[in-house]
Amino acid sequence: MVKVLRATPERRWSKRALLLVLTVITAFGSLAVSADERDQAKRIHDRIAGVPPDTATLNLMANAITTDPVNGAFNAALIATDDPAFYNVTLKNFVAPWTNRDQAVFVPLNDYTATVIGMVRDDVDFRNVLYGDILYTVSGVNPAYSISSNAHYEAAETQGADLKARLVGTTPQSALTGVPSSATAGVLTSRAASKAFFIDGTNRAMFRFTMMNHMCRDMEQVHDTSRVPDRIRQDVSRSPGGDARVFLNGCIGCHSGMDPLAQAFAYYNFQYDKATDPTADAGFLKYNNSGDIDAITGTRVVRKYFNNNTTFPYGYITMNDHWDNYWRHGPNEVLGWSSSLPGSGDGAKSMGMELANSDAFAECQVEKVFKNVCLRPPQDAADRAQISSMVSAFQSDNYNLRNVFAASAVYCMGQ
Amino acid sequence: MKIMNKLSSARGLALAAFAASTLIVSGCGSGSGASTVANPVTTPPTVSNYTGPAPQTADVQRFKINVWDNLVPNNRCGTCHNPSQTPRFVRSDDINLAYDAANSVVNLADPANSRMVLKVRGGHNCWLTSDDACGDIIQSYIEAWAGGALGGTGKAIQFTAPPLHDPGSSKNFPADVSATLFKTAVYDPYLHQYCVGCHKEDAAVPQSPFFASDDIDVAYAAAQKKMDLDNPANSRFVLRLGEEFHNCWAENPPTVNCAQDAALMQAGITAMANAIPATVVDPNLVTSKALKLTDGIVASSGGRQEANVIALYEFKTGTGNTAFDTSGVEPAANLTLSGTYSWVGGWGIDFTNGKAQASTTASKKLHDLIGSTGEYSIEAWVAPANVTQDGPARIISFAGSSASRNFMLGQTLYQYDFLNRTSETDQNGEPRLSTLDDDEDLQATLQHVVATYDPANGRRIYVNGKFTDDVDTVPGGLLTEWDNTFAFALASEVDNTNRWAGTARLVAIHNRALTADQIKQNFDVGVGEKYYLLFNVSDHVGKPDAYVVFEVSQFDSYSYLFRAPFFLMLDSAATPGDIPIAGIRIGVNGREASVGQAFAHVNTAISDAAYTPTGQQELSSLGTVVALEKGPTLDEFFLTFEVLGSASHVVVEASPAPPPAPLDVPRDPDYGIRDFAEINQTMSNMTGVATTQAQVKATYDAVYQALPVSTGIEGFLSSQQMGITQLAISYCSALVEDTSKRALFFPGFDFNAGVSTAFNSGAKQNQIIDPLMAKMVGANISTQPDDAATRAEVASLITLLAGCSGAQCSTNGVVKGACASVLGSAAMLVQ
Repeated sequence: MVKVLRATPERRWSKRALLLVLTVITAFGSLAVSADERDQAKRIHDRIAGVPPDTATLNLMANAITTDPVNGAFNAALIATDDPAFYNVTLKNFVAPWTNRDQAVFVPLNDYTATVIGMVRDDVDFRNVLYGDILYTVSGVNPAYSISSNAHYEAAETQGADLKARLVGTTPQSALTGVPSSATAGVLTSRAASKAFFIDGTNRAMFRFTMMNHMCRDMEQVHDTSRVPDRIRQDVSRSPGGDARVFLNGCIGCHSGMDPLAQAFAYYNFQYDKATDPTADAGFLKYNNSGDIDAITGTRVVRKYFNNNTTFPYGYITMNDHWDNYWRHGPNEVLGWSSSLPGSGDGAKSMGMELANSDAFAECQVEKVFKNVCLRPPQDAADRAQISSMVSAFQSDNYNLRNVFAASAVYCMGQ
Repeated sequence: MKIMNKLSSARGLALAAFAASTLIVSGCGSGSGASTVANPVTTPPTVSNYTGPAPQTADVQRFKINVWDNLVPNNRCGTCHNPSQTPRFVRSDDINLAYDAANSVVNLADPANSRMVLKVRGGHNCWLTSDDACGDIIQSYIEAWAGGALGGTGKAIQFTAPPLHDPGSSKNFPADVSATLFKTAVYDPYLHQYCVGCHKEDAAVPQSPFFASDDIDVAYAAAQKKMDLDNPANSRFVLRLGEEFHNCWAENPPTVNCAQDAALMQAGITAMANAIPATVVDPNLVTSKALKLTDGIVASSGGRQEANVIALYEFKTGTGNTAFDTSGVEPAANLTLSGTYSWVGGWGIDFTNGKAQASTTASKKLHDLIGSTGEYSIEAWVAPANVTQDGPARIISFAGSSASRNFMLGQTLYQYDFLNRTSETDQNGEPRLSTLDDDEDLQATLQHVVATYDPANGRRIYVNGKFTDDVDTVPGGLLTEWDNTFAFALASEVDNTNRWAGTARLVAIHNRALTADQIKQNFDVGVGEKYYLLFNVSDHVGKPDAYVVFEVSQFDSYSYLFRAPFFLMLDSAATPGDIPIAGIRIGVNGREASVGQAFAHVNTAISDAAYTPTGQQELSSLGTVVALEKGPTLDEFFLTFEVLGSASHVVVEASPAPPPAPLDVPRDPDYGIRDFAEINQTMSNMTGVATTQAQVKATYDAVYQALPVSTGIEGFLSSQQMGITQLAISYCSALVEDTSKRALFFPGFDFNAGVSTAFNSGAKQNQIIDPLMAKMVGANISTQPDDAATRAEVASLITLLAGCSGAQCSTNGVVKGACASVLGSAAMLVQ
């Protein structure tokens, strides 16, 4: 505690504030003492909603814990999820880093964030986050949703709109964006994700950040040089800096699995005018429907898949959006791929299903919630057992993420 | 025998007659011992004035221009093959008889296999220190002659049956040097003892490979390519001593005895090899016959557009400190290597901090020949080591100093820079033409880059066969400003500044601006020596002389490129029938390569319908790189198949073991702090002031990035407390200034009373403290601050503040202070 309160020369506290905080912190000697139901109720509410409960809610939750030793705490946690701050504060900041490359939390509300919040509120099977034809808007906010602007969500945020009350997800994403329903892939085809990860580049960013945000693995964690490298595109140098060892020991480990999966995004591009709109604020997701033939590729494949195609001319040439999951075998078999899916398909929706039905996806969501609620990652065998238990419950409970928040809060509510 | 057409080489006229100085060469030898290094001849040969009968045909005329004129001088072949020694292909009495004699020692269909080329390449009176360089030059003469004789109809690749070997057991180098006897049997007694004067990074004149490095791991890696574990007598270390007498030592002073040294080296390698178990080919595999790279058929490297090449560096030598100009255009502008560099397998030089420079005398030919046309092209296959060097870093420079030049191709991060001195630029060739920064045309990988200049089109840069679309804004000018005393150099400025790090695998200077089609042609041909490896699969398909053929080349110092496999039968009348083929993998030295098996998903069928009239069926258009292990002369390749004809080998990949459980670590504190948004919402809830209230929102917008982002309590900073305090004061101010809100929050308190009376009793103070405690701290929560202590502290603060005086002293101010002291405290912050 002393460490926490230490004032550095350049950052001095006011004497008054320091004195008061010292006094209050000193009082936390009682933290080591077992908390009673009111303490547990407060912590559950703090962790779920990010704000303390008012007196009435605290009493209600404490009473629930007292009267039902088995389910009372979980029910109390569900009460906490009724607080609007759970949606406007906790979930918004839980999701915000997933929506941009810098993983910054200080970003405006957007359709990606709003959709996840809405799905949690409505207890939607959370796997749909990667393949559903789903998108949430905010009722009563002008301007309306636009595929070429985020103004709708920024206006809602400026107004302090109660997202719990005003999010609406009844209109399918396809009806809002014009992307065919078969080409929607949950938040992957949201405008915010498109602007962040389909912009410029080669569309591999969408795959990488999806892995990071929804499988809790960056490329280093799935690195496997033993996969067949036949789908690595022409733009990947096989001899970076004139040294093939770099490729054979490094690049190939990610690209051999990533490129055949990221082929699912071959028809997508975030389109904007670099000259007049360099920050792409007016950009939009363009999907090449059948009949939309790119002049460079001669197919529906967007031209970025042919970037730098002379770097290694004998590499793979993308002709369609057929994807294959080479990671179903080898070291990444441990990601727990669904045996009920074929491991290959066409387009982002089926690829999203492949990821969302893996054990790694469920584990990732649970671990993220655990860390958000318990303010620490799983750190010992008891934590891991709890994670395992919650993953099983998540998978058998229609992938209800709100319940994961509640279960995590109960685990970390103190004794 | 099958024949595959390829484009013919189009090497053009040799421009040998422009200079007139002479030099008599007294020693041309094939020995390669270090003690007999001869100075390279840099002056042009003597050109005879022919006075005999006129050429009878156009082909004889082409022979005279391209071959005879170049070889007749007495410092080439003229001393012997003119007056007396047969074949008299440079006789000067009758060009037509010389033509007849030459036809007996050339192969115009395959100039590389001409007797004349092979003889010189084998060490017959080469006038340079590299037999291969002499061979290349004579080959270029014959190709120039053949280019006309063949009428451009193309060169043939003849597929012939390679030797048949089963994939053998092979000894492979363990990854860890400590698992071998390398140190005790080879390194300590010989390499680190006798080779350390040169083959070490910090030697006076460092000679790569550094197998005598003080770092045993570096030495081990470098030495592997020089030792043949399967046949120690064939080790390069042994041959270099025993047959080439390269820097032998006196094991028993004072006598230097190369044979004895070779025997000792062989014994050491043998001892090391004997301790390494052989890798046995899995008998369950369906395999082809085995081949080494040298068993392959050389794929044509022809087809390059070199009609106007005036300097050409292919870096084939692989050793020494000279890179030969094999353009055949005299004088040869050979480059002297200095600094830190190493030769690259598959032809090339890797510069780390080095330079390759021609003499100013030899460089003058570039000035003269380009000056005569007023246009030129710089062509290079290069692999920049990184995309961080600038200056520009000089890739190719023809200059007098870092500020005065004729031309330069350079690198600035992701850009190629092209400087060309004309009547429209300054003496340094500025303003430069650079590729667009955003395009990132330059990448740290092998690239084909061509910079062309002609007065009409100005400067243009092509990368990998494509024009970069960067337009030269400087009008075309004359090259009359060029200085004929400047020197031509690679990887550095001539004054040793602005070094460039990277690999150069081919550099050519043309005294014409290559067209876009010609550049694309040269890019498509590629770089380096390529082979067709014919892997015999007759045993499995039931057809004689049936092969799966790969085009194979050494990709860089560490890998091979295998590409475009096809099925082939040498009997042109044969048909394959139906042959299923699937799961092709490349085997190296007795085992399948663990990385790079890009053909493992091939799954097709060879059929009569798909088999082409030329006797091939493509199996894949892909290519892949496979790690080099022992070296191009030692690595033995074979193929394995999951299905081939009626044979099959099912590959079953074992499931991975479950990852071990992570180690337990002490738990972080189970309490933390609220983050920025939670703080904002909590303060709003506690005070009843909306987050959108104008004053509050303005404060939040100003301080939110100073508030905590992480909820870990151990990362809490005093600066964050400052932000919290500002926000707390803002909320409390908004609360106290709002008469209806404050009335609800502090019922009964008289805000209109003066400071001196508003707080002058415990009861009045409690009208402030009670609501603050109830709404900001909570009741009966043991983890919150102690109720009595907190109350006492707030009361003390109120008393202190109420004792104020002056214009700034107000009741509202005291309430705001009391409110903020609780709202901005850990009672709100800690969760």
